[in-house]
Amino acid sequence: MDGILPHCPKPLEETLDLALAIRTEALTKAYKTRTRRVDVVHKLNLEVEEGEIFGFLGPNGAGKTTTIKMLLSIIYPTSGKAEVLGKEIGNIAIHRKLSYLPEKPYYYEHMTGKEILNFYARLFNLRGDDKDKKIDELLEYVNLANAAGKPISQYSKGMQQRIGLAQSLLNDPQLLFLDEPTAGLDPIAHVEIRDLILRMREQGKTVFISSHELSDVERICDRVAILNTGRVKVQGKLDDLLRGGRVEITAEGVPQDLREKINHDGVIISQHGDRLIIDAADTIPTADFIDAIRAAKGTIVSIIPRRKRLEDLFVETIQSKDDVDGSNG
Amino acid sequence: MNAIFAIAGTTLGEAIRRKVLLIIMMVGLTMLILTPAISSLSIRGQHDVLIQMVLGILKITSAILAVTLTVYLLPNEVERRTIYTILSKPVLRSQFLIGKYLGSVGALAIMLVMMTVVLLVAFAIQQSAWSVSQLMPIIQPAFLLLFQMALLAAVAMFFSTFSTPVINFFLTGLVFIFGTLMNPIFETYVTRESSGFMSIVARVAHYVIPNFGSLDISSGATQGGQVMRGGDLVYMTQGMIMALVYIGILLILSVLVFDNKEV
Ligand SMILES: Nc1ncnc2c1ncn2[C@@H]1O[C@H](COP(=O)(O)OP(=O)(O)OP(=O)(O)O)[C@@H](O)[C@H]1O
Ligand SMILES: [Mg+2]
Repeated sequence: MDGILPHCPKPLEETLDLALAIRTEALTKAYKTRTRRVDVVHKLNLEVEEGEIFGFLGPNGAGKTTTIKMLLSIIYPTSGKAEVLGKEIGNIAIHRKLSYLPEKPYYYEHMTGKEILNFYARLFNLRGDDKDKKIDELLEYVNLANAAGKPISQYSKGMQQRIGLAQSLLNDPQLLFLDEPTAGLDPIAHVEIRDLILRMREQGKTVFISSHELSDVERICDRVAILNTGRVKVQGKLDDLLRGGRVEITAEGVPQDLREKINHDGVIISQHGDRLIIDAADTIPTADFIDAIRAAKGTIVSIIPRRKRLEDLFVETIQSKDDVDGSNG
Repeated sequence: MNAIFAIAGTTLGEAIRRKVLLIIMMVGLTMLILTPAISSLSIRGQHDVLIQMVLGILKITSAILAVTLTVYLLPNEVERRTIYTILSKPVLRSQFLIGKYLGSVGALAIMLVMMTVVLLVAFAIQQSAWSVSQLMPIIQPAFLLLFQMALLAAVAMFFSTFSTPVINFFLTGLVFIFGTLMNPIFETYVTRESSGFMSIVARVAHYVIPNFGSLDISSGATQGGQVMRGGDLVYMTQGMIMALVYIGILLILSVLVFDNKEV
């Protein structure tokens, strides 16, 4: 059902004034194998607003890194369009206002943390006192001032990731691309990186973050897109996507016959001594259960609305077959 | 400009640090030190033969250095993914490439100077020749050798924009061998008023493959039958201009290929 009516709400020109940090239109990257052409990224339509933390999710090989590389002109799209900070990609001038932390980044390992920052600062044409001040400031910011003189080869993974964040902040970017910034880090380092990212949003930066760490994403992202085999399956505000979850009712003194009545489809009942825990999808009329329990002289201990977890949404999305990326109309 | 120098600087620093290259250099140095000793043992160990031998070793060592240095220049950047952060900065691919090239030529120059100094000292001791005019037959070819090596590095750099290191080794090696040994043969076709397929091939080869021989004072000295005059500036300048033109063309071609390359 591809492409009878291509998903194309407005021509690019008309939407320029919209505060979008990233906008892609049917962005496609194909690789040719010996026998066939594989769309690693297929007709991707993304909209990332300015000032938000956008989570770019998907299983291994979904095409996340490929997309980021296209947006940075490290590789070139096969077809489609993309705009970053209001300019079409490929314009090197926009690189002054953005930055990139690649997945599993490596640096010239013989260099010290300070030398690395000095090197990258020069690529931005920073000079003299301005440069030195900025570098010291950032080393402080990512808590590496004490290790500034050590070669990168002696840095732990967490320290390497922090120096990576520091290099990505040298130009005070409006937009950051972080590819799996917390992969392989211990819980403490996780929290540190997460806090740094949250501080970036406070400063009004847009952060585009690709990650497998769903709990991190759930905590920090405003909106997400879930990608599978190069296609967007779900895109939207995290709050909206996770709403419509479940309700958990805990009750005591519920008679046996009532229990059987409550036992609907979509309801999970568990018994802990005299305590009954009813975990129901919120589409089920739980108010009726509560009335019935009260009428039977049972006690309602608690009613907790549960948001769907991102993990549930993720698994649901990846396992479902239908295509929601709008490329079919 | 700042970006180019930053990239050149780190490239130079890394090249000097690379241990493999240091080992090759050490071997080269050892050979250089040994050569005077060996030739002094031989009966015909006279001045000119000695100069030829040490220049030959200098050339081989620096050619190996030049190729091993540049062949991995771009592939390493991609493999270690250091190129991604660099290209995400406001750095043009041409700036990246030129920075890498200048850095490696800088490193080559430093290594060449170091080797030449060792050689000069060994030579001076062995021949008890300490005046500049006595050492000039080594200093001049060594200076031209730097241009040869810069040219060779540009050849390797160009090939590395589209081939793997192993293939690059062969290609660059072929160009160097053809450019050094075969070009005089091709040249005879150009001067001769002949036509036919072979002659066209030879003409094309003559113009496409840089003539490394024209940056050789030593080969001019032996093959031409007449000894190069130390002050033959015209010959040297022509060779150097030829090298710079070829380097310029090769870098432009490299940028054109690299600009469209996915890394
Ligand atoms: N140069 C290439 N040639 C052919 N296929 C490629 C090339 N680069 C990437 N791919 C394929 O594209 C697909 C997407 O890769 P990509 O790195 O974008 O995935 P990802 O979503 O970042 O995955 P991960 O979570 O593992 O990092 C993979 O199946 C990969 O094999
Ligand atoms: Mg990836």
